[in-house]
Amino acid sequence: MIRYTLIRTLWIFIILFIVVSLNFILLRVAPEYPPPDPDQRDIYYERQRGDGFVTRVTLLEEVEEDAERMEEIREHGRELAGVAHFDDRNGTMWVYEDVPIMQQYASWMTNILTEWNWGYSTRIQVNVPVFDVLVSRIPVTVQLNLIALFFYIPIGFTLGIIAALKKNSTTDNAISTLVMIGISVPNFVVMSILVLFFGYTLGWLPTQFPASDIVGIIQLTAVVLPVLALASNPIAHLTRMTRAELTEVLTSDFLLLARTKGLTRPQAVVRHAMRNSMVPLVPGIIFSFVGLLSGSVVIEQIYSIPGTGRIFVRAMQEDDYNLVLGVTAFYTIISLFAVLLVDLSYGIVDPRIRMGARK
Amino acid sequence: MSRKKKRQFEQKTEETSTEFSSEDFEFARRDEERIYDKKFETKPVGFFRDAMKRFAKNRYNVYATIILLTLVLLAIFVPAFTTKNITGQEPQLRFLPPRIPVVEHLGIADGTSRVENVRVDPDTVDLEEDFGLPSEDRYRHEYIVEDSVEANYRYCDDIAESCFGGQNVLTHDGEDTFTILEAPEFWVFSDAENPVVEIDIESMSDNPLTELTVFIGDEELGTITEAGTYTFDVDPQTSRLHLEFDAVANEYVSLNSVTLSDDAEEDPLYFYEGYDLAFWSIDGEQSDASYERRDGREMRIDFDFDEYEAAFGQREQSAYSSRDYYALIEEYDEVCEKTVDPDDPERWTFSEGCPVIEVKGQSRPIEWEGEEYYTYHVVLDYAVYQGFDDTPYFLFGTTSNGRDLFAVSWRALRTSLFIGVTASLVNITIGIIYGSIEGYYGGKIDLLLERFAEVMGRIPWLVTLSIASALLGPGVFTLFVILIFSGWIGISGITRTQFYRYKRREYVLASRTLGAKDRRLIFRHILPNGIGTIITTSVLSIPMVIFIESTISYLGFGIGHGVDFNVGPVEFSGVSIGVLLADGQAQMYANPYLTVAPALIIAILMITFNMFGNALRDAFNPSLRGVEE
Repeated sequence: MIRYTLIRTLWIFIILFIVVSLNFILLRVAPEYPPPDPDQRDIYYERQRGDGFVTRVTLLEEVEEDAERMEEIREHGRELAGVAHFDDRNGTMWVYEDVPIMQQYASWMTNILTEWNWGYSTRIQVNVPVFDVLVSRIPVTVQLNLIALFFYIPIGFTLGIIAALKKNSTTDNAISTLVMIGISVPNFVVMSILVLFFGYTLGWLPTQFPASDIVGIIQLTAVVLPVLALASNPIAHLTRMTRAELTEVLTSDFLLLARTKGLTRPQAVVRHAMRNSMVPLVPGIIFSFVGLLSGSVVIEQIYSIPGTGRIFVRAMQEDDYNLVLGVTAFYTIISLFAVLLVDLSYGIVDPRIRMGARK
Repeated sequence: MSRKKKRQFEQKTEETSTEFSSEDFEFARRDEERIYDKKFETKPVGFFRDAMKRFAKNRYNVYATIILLTLVLLAIFVPAFTTKNITGQEPQLRFLPPRIPVVEHLGIADGTSRVENVRVDPDTVDLEEDFGLPSEDRYRHEYIVEDSVEANYRYCDDIAESCFGGQNVLTHDGEDTFTILEAPEFWVFSDAENPVVEIDIESMSDNPLTELTVFIGDEELGTITEAGTYTFDVDPQTSRLHLEFDAVANEYVSLNSVTLSDDAEEDPLYFYEGYDLAFWSIDGEQSDASYERRDGREMRIDFDFDEYEAAFGQREQSAYSSRDYYALIEEYDEVCEKTVDPDDPERWTFSEGCPVIEVKGQSRPIEWEGEEYYTYHVVLDYAVYQGFDDTPYFLFGTTSNGRDLFAVSWRALRTSLFIGVTASLVNITIGIIYGSIEGYYGGKIDLLLERFAEVMGRIPWLVTLSIASALLGPGVFTLFVILIFSGWIGISGITRTQFYRYKRREYVLASRTLGAKDRRLIFRHILPNGIGTIITTSVLSIPMVIFIESTISYLGFGIGHGVDFNVGPVEFSGVSIGVLLADGQAQMYANPYLTVAPALIIAILMITFNMFGNALRDAFNPSLRGVEE
């Protein structure tokens, strides 16, 4: 078990490393959009230099070779290979030259590993460390998703149990229909319809997420619609899985035994059937959190929720690649650790499964 | 068998075995015809017929499949055959609400929209009837649905014509002790019999020294010291009324109205309240007294507005280019019969069916570069002008560009379906090949490929999205890259499992013994056996791809307006259902119908697609043969 855990953890870290590295390198290759304002651009490149993505060469007018080069740079500017930016002041010129991508990658990794420095935001919150931006956004998203998680689990279980116990009845059919709708309809469509109906037509709930400085009941009511939209899909999945598992367990021999030894049906169901049908559901629930997180990107966009998903979309639109890297790293870490947790949970939830044991 | 019984049985056989000879036996059916292999009376059921049977068993799935097919057919044919505008810009037709035949008589989708909280035109207001109308410029009164106007009031205290009633309050600030409030005009009432001035005071400071003295001309009529309605008889003359307010600082008087009425006339000769009263001038010793309105009511109205009549009814255009006019008349030559007004040769009308109803005049020609330019003042029949015989029906309404949302939605669905199906086909192909290789060869190859697939599958879609759109920019190609990047993994997994299940079967071994090559084994023997599950997974992956496509396009990283693309002769618009929903999102408050139609279409599509997939799964699962629920 220990060996298995170690191997899985190591493997997850390898994947994490690959994904983050790949993301960095490919985004570095992508076209760059420095700020248009000259002063800000100087700061931008100075910052890039600090991060080790460009180097600065000082050229002096007095030196003959330098003068030639300066002339050339003035004429062709950024079209010259390797020249990222130049700052021309009478007599001296600072030329910012591109650093090979692997070298950039090395300094980026070093910054993260030694100083936990994920770089600085270039557009969204200029010159604020990416990590700080993230830290200010994560609570909103995580809070929302945890509420959705704890909201959907009991409902999904209950509906699934009802459907399984009353199999092929009208109730079961009704639940199946709901499940079909919940699984099929994309969550942003659900969100749009909910906002339209409860927000605009009926006017019961806010049509947008309120700013954090507005206090009162609206902070509670504002959570309702996004949670409903986020939960619609997981509820349907959980219901379907619970129903399937429980129906299977209900026809099993050990349940017959339980009934034969004199337990009533409810007793048998609660004590034996439910407990056994839970086993395959736990990994699904852990995974569903990842699903919730990535689903909430769209929901945050629709409802103007100031979370990580919204900042991701904005950073993408405005080409703030440092921030994009930070946010995607956050999502990658969460989803990979969920995978790890799922891998390890098989053994914990069901003692019969011994992961990594030799056959 | 108990021992006793066993013994009995043995004894019995010993006894009987000797008693029969071969003659004792005869064929049971000697006299009948010989038995041959009979033909099966039941029909043989092949794999696909069997599948069809199971497919058709669940009624709901069949219905869903029919609906799905209908959607697909609509998506193919509606954009091809629509007569309405789906690509151009028609600003005159923008944001028309849905109008559906038959249903319109039930009061929904009848082409009217509820306009709420509109300021009224003060000239049309009837306070007693609670009635008013909006300004004619924005909402032509003839298109407001009758009896649909509902008035509501809100507080106001500004000096505006739309602010009715309330009081005007004269307050002494600072040092003031004496202020004159004067009517804006001279009162002419020399013909009046028994003229009476009535002054209605809402309230007044309690201080007994506070006085309001009423003068007409130089004549003092009386003094008011507390709230109430006061009447004073006056002599007929021509003069101006003024009120002298004598009070210390911070004292006030609040006036409701001032009336001059007369026995001979029913209506008052002069009447001031609210807005009119606010124009009385104040004048005083130090005169920093304030004179303000208070507690006025402003009327706002809600009403139903017939958008279709407004868009397609008569429309007057005062400067209609003569060139366009002649081109138009030429185009409708057959139906346009000109009747010149006998009184005015500059005006003429046209017969019914002509886009121009009437010409009301002509501008003076302007010469420029040798050519004459002039315009007509015309009245257009806008429905005919737009090429419709009658007021058209836009079943889902129109978009912000004036396009028919019904046709645009199906066009969008066509784009979504095309991208979904194409990307899925690529995914399926890659997935099957990859999974076959993994499953067939197994061992180290399997291990390596499986690890690679795991890494690919573990990359969150946000990472894929960020890389693809940063490197390639938004567009169809980017969208395909994102959809295919990790889309094939599910199918390769299923294929791999199927291969593991079937590759050790005897018939595969037999074929191999006969010298079959890998390719033959894979494609002739193993794959066909596992194809059922693979097909099901593949079909179910299509709605999944459409789901992701619409999400990405909704966020604005996939396709969008202006990203049209062609596949052979077929044109696809860059507006997929996700893009339509994103458009609707921006208009959710003002025009909710823009969200409703695309949302319902994609919801129905996804539901029916999934049900169709489930039906296929049952159909391709032979273990369900003969299972009756």
